[in-house]
Amino acid sequence: MRLPAKEKWLWLVPLIAVLLLWEFIAGYVIRDPLTLPRFSTVIFSIYILRELVIPDILTSLLHFGIGLALAFAVALPLAIGMGWFRNVFKAIDPIIEILRPIPPLAWIPVAILWIGLTHSAAGFIIFIGAFFPILIDSYTGFRDVPKILLETGKVLGCIGNKKLIKYVAFPYALPSIATGTRVGMGVGWMCVVAAEMFGVGNYGLGFRLFQKFYFLHQMDYVIAYMLILGLVALCVDRVFRYFVEEKLLKWKKGIVK
Amino acid sequence: MNHKLELRNLSKTFSIEEGEMMALEDVSIEVKPAEFLCIIGPSGCGKTTLLRMVAGLDHPSSGGIILDGKEVKGPSPDRGMVFQEFSLFPWLTVLKNVEFGLEIKRVGDKARREIAERYIELVGLRGFENCYQYELSGGMKQRVAIARALVTEPSILLMDEPFGSVDAQTRNILQEELLRIWKRTKKTILFVTHSVDEAVYLSDRVAVMSARPGCLVKCLDIDIPRPRKRTSVEVNEFRGELLMLISLERSKVCISV
Ligand SMILES: Nc1ncnc2c1ncn2[C@@H]1O[C@H](COP(=O)(O)OP(=O)(O)OP(=O)(O)O)[C@@H](O)[C@H]1O
Ligand SMILES: [Mg+2]
Repeated sequence: MRLPAKEKWLWLVPLIAVLLLWEFIAGYVIRDPLTLPRFSTVIFSIYILRELVIPDILTSLLHFGIGLALAFAVALPLAIGMGWFRNVFKAIDPIIEILRPIPPLAWIPVAILWIGLTHSAAGFIIFIGAFFPILIDSYTGFRDVPKILLETGKVLGCIGNKKLIKYVAFPYALPSIATGTRVGMGVGWMCVVAAEMFGVGNYGLGFRLFQKFYFLHQMDYVIAYMLILGLVALCVDRVFRYFVEEKLLKWKKGIVK
Repeated sequence: MNHKLELRNLSKTFSIEEGEMMALEDVSIEVKPAEFLCIIGPSGCGKTTLLRMVAGLDHPSSGGIILDGKEVKGPSPDRGMVFQEFSLFPWLTVLKNVEFGLEIKRVGDKARREIAERYIELVGLRGFENCYQYELSGGMKQRVAIARALVTEPSILLMDEPFGSVDAQTRNILQEELLRIWKRTKKTILFVTHSVDEAVYLSDRVAVMSARPGCLVKCLDIDIPRPRKRTSVEVNEFRGELLMLISLERSKVCISV
């Protein structure tokens, strides 16, 4: 998307306005750093915490990576089965629908009991969060392959499920898989704070935020870490979109814009 | 007798909610090698059904389809098909769409490209190799579909109203190109249309069908030397004869209803 220079920077205006408003309200209206620290104070806290920020981000990304990789590895084969074979869908869907509404946080005791206080336990919570969106969007993709494309595949020599899935259904489902993964990444990231809350290690954004700053009532640090949580997720999403949507799904442009 | 394709007492019933629906009844046609046969008939008379059965995508309820002395059992790349609807794989470029059949056959990269380029040239799409479907007009999409169907060198080409969704001028150009391709590649072509003009301009023989249930009314040899002139006296005579046959059928239907 190419925008004129003016429009390209348009987003900066409301952003700066909000930050200025924050600075003003915190500094002149509320005037209580325990309730709302000023934006400039928060930025300064990030600078103070610079030694901690990087290892915390990396640890959280590790948990996130474990959970997401696992979710993807389990969801994708299942999605192919459920989207492609009616009977697999009928057999598995009830189980999925029972498990799906259970909030990821409710799994925390199970995770601790099964896996202990390890990185994998945090990964497990994130897995629970990311798994269902990936699964459901992906099997929808495999299920909805237009008949005309399948038949075209058949007359061009794709005989048998394996070839049809590989050459027709999978490429068709890719955008749905990508959407599911993106949504799953969002939910998974939300689970990071909760997953680290119960202390699976001595690092992690969620761990620090909850176990340290909150208990010490360091509001400026809490908000600094909240901002970092948001920014890291934004970066992850941007990187994902850059690689997947710009490179892999170029052909979608004409369809969704 | 040496037939390329033989349809023997072909019938097809679909089971629908109200019971059984006879789409085709007792159709027998013999097609000579390198013959250009047009099938013409009103909407819903079973033309697509007939072609799909020859392609192996549907099975006849009774009767048989003999191609090169062997009974047709399922789809195979030795029968090329161009569908009535647009059927390009949207995730592939023009080149990759055309290469598709060869990729399935595991033809090497270089040979694949060479062959595909040749057919792209043949349908006049040079320079559009790297376009995606959304960048093509309707007529261009059908050209790609034709190239894609030809690339595996099927001995028979099944075309289901391939030019139904393009404007009159483009249609004329595509018809001429098809004749050129037909002359050069010596394929047997089964071409479904509901345009009398198209049938007379293109074919060696026209099979006229009637609706509900679809059955063969008459086969008419079009023995006008090529190249034909769309406005010549002979062409007009055949056109008149065909129109009369079709309207006769229509009036029968009206009476029976
Ligand atoms: N899968 C199906 N199930 C039930 N009925 C079907 C099915 N496919 C086709 N029919 C019916 O069979 C009849 C013939 O359909 P077909 O698509 O072959 O017509 P057609 O001659 O190609 O028409 P058109 O010129 O509009 O493309 C129609 O009445 C249609 O409703
Ligand atoms: Mg049809």
